[in-house]
Amino acid sequence: MQRSLSAEDARFQAEMREFMTTQVPQELRDKVTAGVELTKEEFVRSQRILNAAGYAVPHWPAEWGGRDWTPRQLHIWQSEMQSAGVPALLPFNVSMVGPVIATFGSEEQKERFLPATANLDIWWCQGFSEPDAGSDLASLRTTAVRDGDEWVVNGQKTWTTMAQHADWIFALVRTDPSAKKQEGISFLLIDMTSPGVEVRPIQLLDGGHEVNEVFFTDVRVPAENLVGEENRGWDYAKFLLGNERSGIAAVGALKRHLARIKSYAARVTDENGESVLGHPLVAARVAELEAELMALEVTVLRVAGHSHDGKPDPASSILKIRATQLQQDVLELAVDVAGSMSLVWLIEDDAAGEIEEDAVIPGWARRSTPTYLNFRKASIYGGSNEVQRQIIAGSVLGLKG
Amino acid sequence: MDFTLDSEHKALADAVREMASRRGARPSANGAGPRPHDPDLWSAMAETGLLGLPFREEAGGFGASAVEVFVAARELGRAGLQSAYADALLAGSVLADAGDDLLGSAVAGEALVLPALAEPMRAFAPVPGGVTATITGEGAVLSGTKGPVPTGAAATHAVVTARIDEEGAGGSTSGETVLVLLDGPRVENDVMVLDGASGRILLRGADADRALVDALAHASVVLAGQALGAMESAMTMTSDYLRTRKQFGVPLAAFQALTHRAADMYVSLELARSTAMYLAMSVAEGDTDPALVGRCRVVLARTGRHIGQEAIQLHGGIGVTAEYAVGHLTAMLTAIERTYGDPRQLLGRLAADVADYDTVGVLT
Ligand SMILES: Cc1cc2nc3c(=O)[nH]c(=O)nc-3n(C[C@H](O)[C@H](O)[C@H](O)COP(=O)(O)OP(=O)(O)OC[C@H]3O[C@@H](n4cnc5c(N)ncnc54)[C@H](O)[C@@H]3O)c2cc1C
Repeated sequence: MQRSLSAEDARFQAEMREFMTTQVPQELRDKVTAGVELTKEEFVRSQRILNAAGYAVPHWPAEWGGRDWTPRQLHIWQSEMQSAGVPALLPFNVSMVGPVIATFGSEEQKERFLPATANLDIWWCQGFSEPDAGSDLASLRTTAVRDGDEWVVNGQKTWTTMAQHADWIFALVRTDPSAKKQEGISFLLIDMTSPGVEVRPIQLLDGGHEVNEVFFTDVRVPAENLVGEENRGWDYAKFLLGNERSGIAAVGALKRHLARIKSYAARVTDENGESVLGHPLVAARVAELEAELMALEVTVLRVAGHSHDGKPDPASSILKIRATQLQQDVLELAVDVAGSMSLVWLIEDDAAGEIEEDAVIPGWARRSTPTYLNFRKASIYGGSNEVQRQIIAGSVLGLKG
Repeated sequence: MDFTLDSEHKALADAVREMASRRGARPSANGAGPRPHDPDLWSAMAETGLLGLPFREEAGGFGASAVEVFVAARELGRAGLQSAYADALLAGSVLADAGDDLLGSAVAGEALVLPALAEPMRAFAPVPGGVTATITGEGAVLSGTKGPVPTGAAATHAVVTARIDEEGAGGSTSGETVLVLLDGPRVENDVMVLDGASGRILLRGADADRALVDALAHASVVLAGQALGAMESAMTMTSDYLRTRKQFGVPLAAFQALTHRAADMYVSLELARSTAMYLAMSVAEGDTDPALVGRCRVVLARTGRHIGQEAIQLHGGIGVTAEYAVGHLTAMLTAIERTYGDPRQLLGRLAADVADYDTVGVLT
């Protein structure tokens, strides 16, 4: 056991901090820090800057842009990105489909997709969930039927995040309807511009458009776009979901957010003209959240939680549960600090990317309630927290009913 | 203590329910966010008698009590209908205390009189902060900024709280609260800038403070009714969903991990129900003690938060969509929790006095 960073890691940390705070444009980082939704172009711009420096996919195999960093260094990299407010690397690319292709894909697939995926030349979306296959993902019904050199895909995906921006979708499709449910699924890469693909928006309760339904009608997909082995898609999906979950534990971003809320609370006054940050119940809540975030951060350092040897680590479930709970608690505190001001909303589409820091009722206060409500999603997506508890109970504690 | 609702209460509830289903919530581009004032809904509420429920018959009201207000508000909450009802009864209560004639048009739905209490970057407090009034005979000239004033853009009049900043005519003392009625307030972007706006004085000093305590208690009954109604609907929707949504080949109700969570929601719901009714009967009997109101509001905030969050969670993805009602109910509960103060402030005020008594009694 040793707490301090080695001299080498300390140097690494300084390097990351320097890069993240000087090479990624301030205007983008200010928006992230203020909780403003970024445009597609802004995400692309930021990811390309990181990729050019070799900082977009350091966790991938060295051959495809990986850096062979230690888990400690990967943690430092992530937390420096998050605390500097660097726009998130597109998770569908860097932590979901990229590692799947790198681990299970063919050489041709790697060459064709990995560089473009790292550089966000291709924007991916995740086509797993269906209307009747949410928590019970393995019951998915979208089919792919082989026809010569092609797969013909029919069915519907839903909750597809940012499909409106996507060039490609990685989808779980049923290729063997007669097999047991988990055994007849394959992992297929589909060009979103293929005839027969239709995207319809779903509005969320914050008024925003981030998820979609995606319909497939006789969509023809070249056979070479199937990843790994036919009917082994479920294994790849589990591998991917393990990485998705641990990626959700964005401790650096949570710490930065809590710090912002403190600065807001310092400016809001109570009836005696004193800052509400001095209010014992507000201050105690902040202190409590800071202690809990510390515990989460040291747990992330102790159990990295990424999938390895092609298998998910059950620790990813622990991180997913705790991180989403804290994320939701931090966002709720922002609503309390905004108080009456939280009753009026800023709808992201109307705001057109403005931070509105100096408005009479500032942007952060108007964003507090829609953001809080939107992030009720965090305990639902990425495998709901109930499903994570099931995994912990079953795989870690051996409690199977 | 008698919690039963009589046949008149039930008839009132039926009438409001019928009105609410006829008026239904319309789709909005803003998801579950705040909506602009809906004049059609407001006329329907006036016709159903809601706007005058607790006010004297001479003012066009029905002389009913806070219990009737609770019954009506609960139906609005059940239907998930957003409106300025709590605000309007708050302002109406001040007008009634001041004996102001405008109350008649407010009750008829002709005038929309809304309170402007909150101030930007300032935690809610019943007494005004940065808005000041200079007294000029019967009137007052205001300066400062109020906000947010939700739906304020539609208001014909506003009841503004301000602090008297000068010894003026009529012997007012500097620092006292004054309630000023503004005709044609200008609200832009939910904010009311009062650079030299002048209005009529409704009440001042101790009378104003007392009127505000009463008005906030009445408005809290509206919030309590709406919150309870929203919780009831969210509970029903959640139980129905657990019975019908299937995953893993069985209804979600087959998973005890979920049914126990629903049972916990129900525990919260029953406590909310008793508390909301207790608040309504207390106010109906003239007990508007801020400590009592605060305690009830803290319980309703906690239970509303619990039920709203769990209702979304147990629905899964569909719970966070704009299309599905459960998220709207949760948004309504979230807003109610922070209207006229939030639980942390209310607790702060209660906490300051705990050394002064042994127990909290409920039977009087
Ligand atoms: C904003 C958002 C973005 C998303 N993005 C994507 C995306 O990009 N791609 C994608 O493929 N999917 C995405 N999802 C889908 C997400 O993964 C599913 O919503 C999730 O798996 C839950 O499925 P469901 O919504 O159908 O809920 P259901 O599975 O119907 O669950 C309803 C409730 O029952 C609980 N439950 C279900 N089964 C059990 C059980 N056995 N034991 C105990 N509790 C149980 C759940 O935890 C939940 O509380 C997204 C979802 C949201 C909300």
